[in-house]
Parts: sequence; structure tokens; C-alpha cells
Amino acid sequence: MQNLTWTGTLGAYINPFFLTALCAFLIFVVAAAARGFSRADGPNPINPTPPSIALFGPTLIIGLVLWLLSLSGLSPFEILGLGNMWLSLAVCLLIGVTAGFGLFQISSELVFKLVWGTFYAALGLFLIYLVVGLFVLPETMGIVGAISKRLTPTWIALLVTFSVSIYFKRSLGLYGKLFDSPVGMIGLGLVLFWVFTALLGAGFDLIATHDPLGQVSGMKNKHPGIPLRGAEAGDYPYYLFGGDTLARDVFSRAIVGSGIVIVIAPAATVFAFMVGITLGLPAGYFGGRLDTVLSFLSNMVLAFPVILLFFLLVTPEIIESGLPKYLAVILFVFPVIFVGVAQYSKNRLKPNFLTLQFPIMMIIAIWLYLSLISEAGAVISILPPLLDLFDVPSEILVVFVSVVFVNSPTVFRIVRGLTLDVKTRDYVAAAQTRGERPWYIMLWEILPNVRGPLIVDFCLRIGYATILLGTLGFFGLGLESESPDWGTTINAGRKLLSVYLAPVLVPAFSLMSLVLGLNLLADGLREESLRD
Amino acid sequence: MGMFILRRTGVMLLTAICLTFIVFIMTNLYPNLEKLAKNEGNFRMSDAEVASFLGNRGYTQGKLQNYGEWLGVLPGYVIEGIDGKTRGRCSNHGAIVEDAGRYCGVLQGDWGFSSRFKEPVLKIVATRLALTGKLMFWVLVVMVPGALLIGVMAGMREGSRLDRSLSTGAIVTTATPEYVSGVIFIAIFTSSAVGLKWFKGSATSAMENATLENFLLPVLTIAIYGMGYIARMTRASMAEVMTAQYIRTARLKGVSFANIVLKHALRNALIAPFTVIMLQIPWLLNGVVIVEVLFNFKGFGWVLVQAASNNDIDLLLAVSVVGVVVVLLTQLISDIGYVFLNPRIRIS
Amino acid sequence: MGGTIRMQMDVKAMKDPRTHDWTQISIFSAGWLEYLVEYNNDGSFTPMLLTSWEANADATQYVLKIREGVKWNNGDDFTAEDVARNIIGWCDKGLEGNSMAGRMASLVDEATGLAREGAVVAVDSSTVHLNLLQPDITIVPGMADYPAQIVHKSFTVETMVSNPIGTGFMLPENLEVGVKASIVRNEGFEWWGYAAGKGGYVDRIEFIDYGSDPATHMAGFEAEEFDLNWESTGEFVELFDSLGLVKTQVASGATIVVRPNQDHAPYDNKMVRQALAMAVDNNVINELGNASLGVAADNCHVGPMHPEHNPDVTRAPFDPVKAKALMDASGHGDFEHELRSLDTGFWKDTCDAVAAQLRDAGIKVKRTLMPGSTFWNDWTKFPYSATNWNHRPLGTQVLGLAYRSGEAWNEFAWSNAEFDSLLAEANSLANADERRVVMGKIQAIVIDEGVTCQPYWRSVQRHNVAGLVGVDMHIAYLPQIYKWGHAA
Repeated sequence: MQNLTWTGTLGAYINPFFLTALCAFLIFVVAAAARGFSRADGPNPINPTPPSIALFGPTLIIGLVLWLLSLSGLSPFEILGLGNMWLSLAVCLLIGVTAGFGLFQISSELVFKLVWGTFYAALGLFLIYLVVGLFVLPETMGIVGAISKRLTPTWIALLVTFSVSIYFKRSLGLYGKLFDSPVGMIGLGLVLFWVFTALLGAGFDLIATHDPLGQVSGMKNKHPGIPLRGAEAGDYPYYLFGGDTLARDVFSRAIVGSGIVIVIAPAATVFAFMVGITLGLPAGYFGGRLDTVLSFLSNMVLAFPVILLFFLLVTPEIIESGLPKYLAVILFVFPVIFVGVAQYSKNRLKPNFLTLQFPIMMIIAIWLYLSLISEAGAVISILPPLLDLFDVPSEILVVFVSVVFVNSPTVFRIVRGLTLDVKTRDYVAAAQTRGERPWYIMLWEILPNVRGPLIVDFCLRIGYATILLGTLGFFGLGLESESPDWGTTINAGRKLLSVYLAPVLVPAFSLMSLVLGLNLLADGLREESLRD
Repeated sequence: MGMFILRRTGVMLLTAICLTFIVFIMTNLYPNLEKLAKNEGNFRMSDAEVASFLGNRGYTQGKLQNYGEWLGVLPGYVIEGIDGKTRGRCSNHGAIVEDAGRYCGVLQGDWGFSSRFKEPVLKIVATRLALTGKLMFWVLVVMVPGALLIGVMAGMREGSRLDRSLSTGAIVTTATPEYVSGVIFIAIFTSSAVGLKWFKGSATSAMENATLENFLLPVLTIAIYGMGYIARMTRASMAEVMTAQYIRTARLKGVSFANIVLKHALRNALIAPFTVIMLQIPWLLNGVVIVEVLFNFKGFGWVLVQAASNNDIDLLLAVSVVGVVVVLLTQLISDIGYVFLNPRIRIS
Repeated sequence: MGGTIRMQMDVKAMKDPRTHDWTQISIFSAGWLEYLVEYNNDGSFTPMLLTSWEANADATQYVLKIREGVKWNNGDDFTAEDVARNIIGWCDKGLEGNSMAGRMASLVDEATGLAREGAVVAVDSSTVHLNLLQPDITIVPGMADYPAQIVHKSFTVETMVSNPIGTGFMLPENLEVGVKASIVRNEGFEWWGYAAGKGGYVDRIEFIDYGSDPATHMAGFEAEEFDLNWESTGEFVELFDSLGLVKTQVASGATIVVRPNQDHAPYDNKMVRQALAMAVDNNVINELGNASLGVAADNCHVGPMHPEHNPDVTRAPFDPVKAKALMDASGHGDFEHELRSLDTGFWKDTCDAVAAQLRDAGIKVKRTLMPGSTFWNDWTKFPYSATNWNHRPLGTQVLGLAYRSGEAWNEFAWSNAEFDSLLAEANSLANADERRVVMGKIQAIVIDEGVTCQPYWRSVQRHNVAGLVGVDMHIAYLPQIYKWGHAA
């Protein structure tokens, strides 16, 4: 069998159009940016910038970009190489001057229309790869098409979510408003892409083509699109992103790895928020000595270099001593307290609540808590194995605890600051005069009113937790070496980075796109919530 | 003001003492001591030998006692070991027991001896910190002007196309941690496979002789990640200033846009970024560790990794003291600077 | 003549040569400390501080002739007394970590742990007699191994770098553990080797530490920060080739063992051990773990590069189904094995590949990675882990160091009386063909006991920039720095 090319047999016809559109887009972006820079002080009718100076910027930039592209040897530009670097430079600059002069003549609006026009053209052509890929054989539409086909479940889920959300967006509150902001929509799209991929790919195994830990002889360090050696009926016939240094499928590892990242990072952030809120609210609300002590403690953790903390917490010797387990015991109790106090303070006067619902709720919560921290044969083994609902693998627990521990103090500081600000508001005073108890006021008056900044920070913090997870993986701390999570994979692949790019770039860009999505989402949320 | 600095220094000392105590406890947990004993002595020691090794060297006296000795508030131990040799904390590395002073801790200026590098801790930290200082200097030189420029340009016309594209760019850089950008840089600019080979993927020679070729990539890798965040803060601050009343007045008076930005808006817009930059410095330490490992630049971050993975107790303590001091000092400077830059705030 | 050579190498703290556990330590001290005998890539032994040696018929008595006219660099004469004192020092079992005691076992008094009375005798100023307890053919090869550096009578560990007395042509200049180290020519010292035509070409050698990650080594090569590396492994051999570097390669007996430690349950169970070896296809491990830079081995740590290897005795055939059945039959079918290894290079890759194969066979495995600083602290004690072993000239040597009952480096915690006595028998047979018969039996026992999975023999190689001579990879990593030089 032949190696798959990136865009397959059909791609040969579409590629020239796509590349032309893409290059035109890039050139116009540069041109627009150059115009923007050279005329940063805006049109000034009294004293216009002399054209010669204004031209200098765009001319130089366009010329140099063309020259660099020709050096890079990309197909449409290699013709500009001309076999001689200096000759090529001269020609490129000449083209730059011509183009720059031309661009200066046309209006600003036209340049931007050209930017968007070429952008949509490139995007549309790229969508053709993805959509056509869904219906044809891998050979026809190449790696891009085949991957698009593997991702069918994700596409469907995304499509359904987006169409339903846009249809009902007026009745969906802040979430619905996101669909008014392009930035927010792109962010949400990226995040949901990874959430669905993690759920359907790692959870239900609908996407990955191979076993992420399986090693196949002959597939070591292979470039993307390599046919599987010794494939039997039922095996997917290709390693779409090639094989890594241990002959494992890069594509499947990235997909399954997303499962680990998508579960740990948000869950750790939720726990960090529980801890931060449960401590930050009373610190801000009551103030006094409680505030002094808690603030000192949180400042102390924050004063500690994160990386040193990781090295101290996540080494075999410390894990052996059980310290992370004890830390887990402390940190994981906060969600139980949070839920308990929240329910109690709100419903304590309702009939039956204290005698029936509340005890049941708390028993379940405590049972879950004990199952989480207790593990047969480990340092903490409270529950008999029969009652122990589940065990979290110890290395995941350690990583989880470290990420929670590092993030909690910052959340504490934010919540405390917000509480200090909000507690002087009228509605708080009104609740106080009504005779509400302090915890009711904190949890049901103050907290809902500061949710905006907290939600924004939550998104950013998931991104930060993802980066921290990757950092741990990069230093080989925590998760197992074979773990397909992105940080560990980047660390493993960077050794051969100079030759085999795919094993590193695939998880690297995955991580980047997820964090980028979260940041854009946070940005969109912030903008939309400010608009109220 | 004097009282304020004094109080902050007091808190700083208290924090440093608490934190070093925690590090001390963690590095002195028995499994860690066992690792240390085997590193120092011999990797095939039996459990009994480990116990006597540790006992002879004063590790088993009790944590508080040991910590006091390290601080220099308690006299150093003098122990006649089971093997007949007399060892004292103050005389272990050269001096004879009788001559050595009774106290030898941080307060006396003795930071201890590194078990990994077999050299006085103070000397190691000083050398390596100087190298990291060089790295950080160039990072700041690249990062701060770059970030401010981007932030000011984006913020001066909020919502414009320039703002949108620069802000998105800033978000992209904050979404690219050092271990991602670093490996991408190495792949593109140094590897024979891609073939550009414009720069060098190892900064070892930059320790003695830093050039553009061997130092640009490490500097850029750290700078880019921090740049986005500062740029966004600057943009927000700039955008706020640009909507202020006095700017509008100036515009209505016909002052040129360039003059408004440069002469009126900039000073006020740079107050917030100043504090952000100061607070960002400790965060750069993460990047420093990653980059120093990635580019084999043997600075402070590399020492941190070495000390932690070898459980080099004295060195780790010194490293954490430096880390804590840097964090707290930058906080202090940012607070004081904020007061000086912002005429509206006065601290009593 | 002259010039500087820069080498990428781990820079480790100095210790007593007898306790050297890394050839990297010896290569630094080799600047001023030399060997009696030297082993070469072609399998020959060349006299250095000796001029010749002779054994009697059953290898129980040796006569060592000392090279005349050799001087210590403090002006003292080098005599038979020095040699006798060093050999007696090697025999000191009480010195912790002294691996030379294992090599000199036939001179050691079991009761005192020191050299036997009358075992080492300086007959006159240039002759030493060795009287062995039992026949031993490995004693001279043992003297060529890296910890066997000859030290002065005033030697102490504390002053060995600050007051470097030796017979070699260089002196230490600086040593910064983990960073860099250098040795320089001892100007004005009349080294014996100049007259003997041994070389001693370079003025200065620098060792620069780049950590254990070969990607960093590659970056260093590309940045032209050093002239040769310590060793090229795995995929990096090809990559270094592609940089236009000169490769020197030797097919060797260096290998890796992925071994259970029999002090730990369930590895005291023979069926478990057999299953672990049986479930692994050594050819695949060679491909995935060693970048095919070697040949598959037979799980008995004796191979075709050893003169006495018996090729008729081969491994228990690769059979995952039977392996699973054995594992189940042993009663440990559900046991999750924890396979530990270093976190880089072929150690990691090999173990990852072994783990994948065990999983394919239905045996549960968990991988644990450790950095070198932690791993080597306990390498002999882990229940299930991987260790690399360097090449040794005779097949019986590693077996004596690592497989004999009670040896310091017996990481298998294996003790087998029949094996011990067969090994002693082999050691008394100077003729390789006679030895081969016994060796066949030894190989069979090691394989049948499932002592280890030893998947492949590695070839060892290093790279250097063009224009260097004598820096070839040594089959046993021995430090022959006097051969190094720049091409004229």
C-alpha cells in the first residue's frame, strides 16, 4: 500500500486553489498590518505623512516576507528562490515596492475586503477537504479527509450543540449571549471540540484508530499517513499521524490523551474553586483574625515557586511517605463542606429537610469523599474494600492534588477581594436586617452576584491547569511514562523532534488549541457579561 | 512609608521562615534522608548502615533541633559517631572540631554544603543566580518593550481591527506555554531536518559567551509566554485611560492623536502594567526552569531541578529562600512603585 | 601534538578508584592514574605498567613483570611494592562499594575479607607473584577493568584531586560536578609513555556535562560545543550520522537485562520468572528498544562475542500463550508487575517495549520511570527493573560479578549452588574449547531458571567531528585518553 498524502488524489485538484487563497490571504494580512502600522496616527488631513515614508513599511515587510517564503521552499514560492539568495532578495523587494505602491493607491476598505475575501475562500476550500473527507475513502481525500472522517461523532455533536444553542440563544442567558460574539463562539467551538472528542474518543472509543499503548513492529518513527504493517481485517489500515518512537499511533494517543486532560484539568479547577470559595467568602465577609490567618497562609503558598512545589510534592519518596494523600484528605473535604453548608443554610427551615433529605445527602457526599481518599493497602484505608466505590490511581491523585493545591490560593484571593467589595452593597445589608444567617448571605446573596468574574476566571484557570499538567508531564513528574496525556507525550517526543515532528507537534497544537479556546471563551464571556 | 516597608519586611521574614521550615520538614522525611544517605555514602548500604550514617551526621536529632541549627539559633551538633569519629555540623567540611564556632547557620552566613555538587551552597547559588540573571535581563529587555508596544497600540483604539488582531495575538501567546514554543522553535530554527539552522538549540556556550545565535531562542521562549499577559493588561489600562475625560478634552482641543497617546495617555496607562510586570517576574521562574532544562543552560532553574531530584537539603533550602525572597520583594516593589506612580494613593 | 579536545560526558564526583561505579569517573582520573594492563577492541591485552605476565598450567599462579623506569609524577620510582600494595588494596572487601574485590576473589581470604597471607608477593623490585586460592583465568582481564587504576602510597580520597600523584601524563585542572571538568598536560613531567611511543598527544581535555538527554547532546553537537560525545544510542546514531560526524562503532557484549529480583515475591517463583522471559520476543525488543543496533540475545548473558559461548543452547522459545498459562499456573496470574527503569534512552524504550509485549500476552504491567539520581541508588534492589551491563572480555566475568551467589552486584538476588560450582570449573579451564562444554551447562541453568530477560546485545558507538584520531569508541568504555589527538 502507498503512503497517504496529506490531501489524497482529489486534493491534487483542490490544493492549488487552496494554496493560492491562503497565500493571497497572508499577503493581504501583511499588507493590511503594514498599512495599519505606517498610518497608526490616523489620517491627518492637515499634515499627511509623505507617501515615500508611508510606503517604506509595507514595501519592506512584503518584500522580506516573500523572500523568507522563497527560502522556506514552499511550493508556490520556491520559484522566487531563483537559485541565488541575493538575486532573490532583490526581486522580492522589487515585487514588494510594486505591491506596496499598488496597495497605497487602493483604499483601506478594499484591502480589508480582500483580507476577508481570501480568508473565506481559504476557509471554504479547507471545509471542502473536511466535508468531502467524510464520504470518501482515505486515499481520495488523504490524511486531512481521513481524520475528518474519524472525527464524525465530534462533528455531529458540535453541529447539534451549535444549532440548538443558536436557535434558543435568547433564552439561554449568558451562555446564549456568547453566540453574539465571534471570539466567544470560536472559543466555545474549540473547547467543545475537545470536550466531545474526549468524551466520544476516550470515553466511548469512537474516534481513535488504534490502541494508544499498542506497539506495532515496523511502525517506529514513521511519518504521517503510513500504512499499518501486517494489518488484518478490521484493523484501521493507516497510522494517520504516523508512529512515535515506540511504534504507537500518534493520532490515537492524542485523542485518548485528550480524555485525561479534559477530565483532570476542569475537575482540579472545580476543586480549587470549592476550596477557594469556602475559605474566601468567610475571610472577606468576617475579616479580622480569620482573614489575617487565611490570607497569610494563601500568600505563603503563592510565594512558593510552583515548579519547586511540584518537585517537592511529586517525587517517589514523598509519594511513598503519603503526604499527597493527607493533602487530598484536607483538600477534598471542602466540596463536602461547601455542598453541606449551601444546602443547610438555604433549606434548613423547610419541613423534612433536616430529618430526611439533608442526612441522606450528607451520607452520600461523605461516602463519595471517603471512597475518593481511601484505597486498600495505601496510607489511608478507612473504608473496607467492599464499601469503597472506586479507587483513583495514585499517580493521577498526586497530580490532581498538586494542581488543586497550587490554584486554590489564587481563587481564595479573588473570592476574598470580590466579597470585600460586594459585602457593602444594599442587598447584603437588606439580608442582614432580615436576620439571615451569615452563611446564607455569603452563599446565596454574595456568591451569585460575583459569578461573572468567577466564571471568566474559571475558564482561564482550566487553561492554566492544562498548562500545569503539561509542565508536570514535561518534567516526567506524576503520570506514567506511557500515559498518552499531552505533556508526557511532548516530553517523550521532543528527543527526536528535529526529525520526527508529528509526535510532538500533534499534542503541542492540541494543547495550544484547547488553552486558546478557553482563553477566547473567557474573553467572549467577559465582553458579553460587561455588556449588561 | 517607612513603617509600611518595615511591616512588609517583617511579614516577608515570617513567610520565609515558615516556608523554609516546610521545605525542611519535607526534605527531612525519612525516605528522602535514606535517598540522601545512599547518594552520599554508598548506594548499597543496608538499613542499619543508613540509620547509623544519618545518626552520625546529626540527621535524627529531631526536626526542630536541626532546623534551629540550620538557622543558626541553636549550636551545631557535635556527635561522636558509632564509628568512633567525631563530627560536628560546624566542622564537617575542613575545619577541626575544636576550632569551629559553635553556631554555624544562615544567621552566621553559613548556608551549608551541597551534597550533589560538593561545594558550598552560597557559591553555587551565587554563580547560578548570576547566569539566570543574565537570562532574565535579556528576557525583560525583549518582553517589556514588546508587550507595552503591543498593549498601547491595541488599547489606543479599542475595538479597532488593529486592536482585534493584536489582542488575538496576545491570547495566542498566553496559550503557548514554554515547553510548546520552545520545542517548536528548536524544531524550526535549529534542526538539521528542517534545515534552516539559523540559531543554536543549546545555550551551554551562552553561559560564557552569549551571542544572538545561542541566546535568542531561550530568551524568546520565555519572553513570548509572558508577553501576552502584560500586553493584555496594558491594553485594558490604555483603553480605560483613552476614555477618560481629560483625553476627550485634549482631542476636542485638536491635539494630534500621536501627541495625545505619547504625552497624555501613556504615563497614566503604564501604572497598571508596572505592577503586573513586577508580579510577573516570579512567574517567569517556571519558564526559566523549563528553558534551562530544554536548552541546557546551567542557571538557577537547573540547580533547582538538580537539588530537588537529588534531595540536596541545604541547596534546596537556599533555592526556596531565593524563590520566596524574589516573590515577596517583587510584591513589595510593585506596591511601592504603585504609590509613587499614582498620585491618588497615599499610604499612611 | 597539542590542542584541546572537548567531550560531552557526565561529570561525576571523584571517589576511590576501586569504588568507581561509572567509567565516566575513571576517564577523568585516567589523566594521572594508569593501569597495569589494557584491554583493546580486538580482544587483546596489552601491558602498560607491566611488561609481561605468565600463568602456570592450571591458572593458580601468576608472575607479573613490572615496567622499569616508570616514575610517579612526584619523582618517586614506580616499583613492585606499589603494584603489590594496589592489588592487596583491591582485595579489601571491607571497603564499601569496592568492586575490585569481586574481580580478585581468588586472592581474598573469605574469613577476613582481605588479601590472603602470601597471596600477593613482591619478589624483587620488578616482579610480583600472585598465588591463587583456586584456578582463575579472569584475574588479568580483571586488572584491565576501569576501577583498576594504580594509586600512590600517599593516596587518600580527600586529596586525590588536590594532590594528584600518579604515573600518567596529565593533571586535573578543575572539576565542577554536573557542569564541567578538565585535565591538562603535566608539563615537564617525563612520562614513560613518550619514550615507549604510546602517544600522549593532546594538551588539554575538557569534559562538559549535558545531562542524560540525547536530544540535548544533539543540540550541543549542532551548536559545535564539543568535539566528541560519550556514546550515541538508539535513533540518535542515525541522526548524528546525518550531521556529518564520524562514527566509530564496535560490536560488543554490552547489553541490558530486564530482570526480576528473587528476594521479592512473586519473583521467588520460578514459573513467574520463566513466564516473564517467555512472553518477550527479543527480536522485537531489539527493534523497538535498541533501534536495531545490535542482535537478539538468548537470555543467558553469554554471547557470540565471548570465546566460550555455546551457540547450541538457546532461549526458551517465545510463546505468549504458554507464558500466560505458566503465569496463571504459578498462582500470580492477576499480579500487576511494576517494571522500573531509567527515564531516558534505550532503558526506557526497551522497558516500554517489554511492557507492551507482556500486556499482549495478558500479563499486567505498570511502568515506573526514575531519574538516574534516584534509580542508581537502589538498582540492585528493585523487584523488577532494567540494568545495562558493559562488555567484558570473557563470558565468565559478568557471570562471576552479577550471577554468583552473594556478589555485590547480584541484582537478581539469585543463588544457585550448581551454577556456582560450574562457574568455578569454567574459570579453571584456560582453553576456550574446553570451557565451552561447561558454559553450555551454565547457559542452560540461567535460561531454565528464568533468571533474566536479556533481549539483545548492543553495539556501542560514539561520534566525533572530523579531524580527530584515537578517540574511537572502546568496546568496554575504557579510558585510553593517551591515544587521543588531532590529525596532523
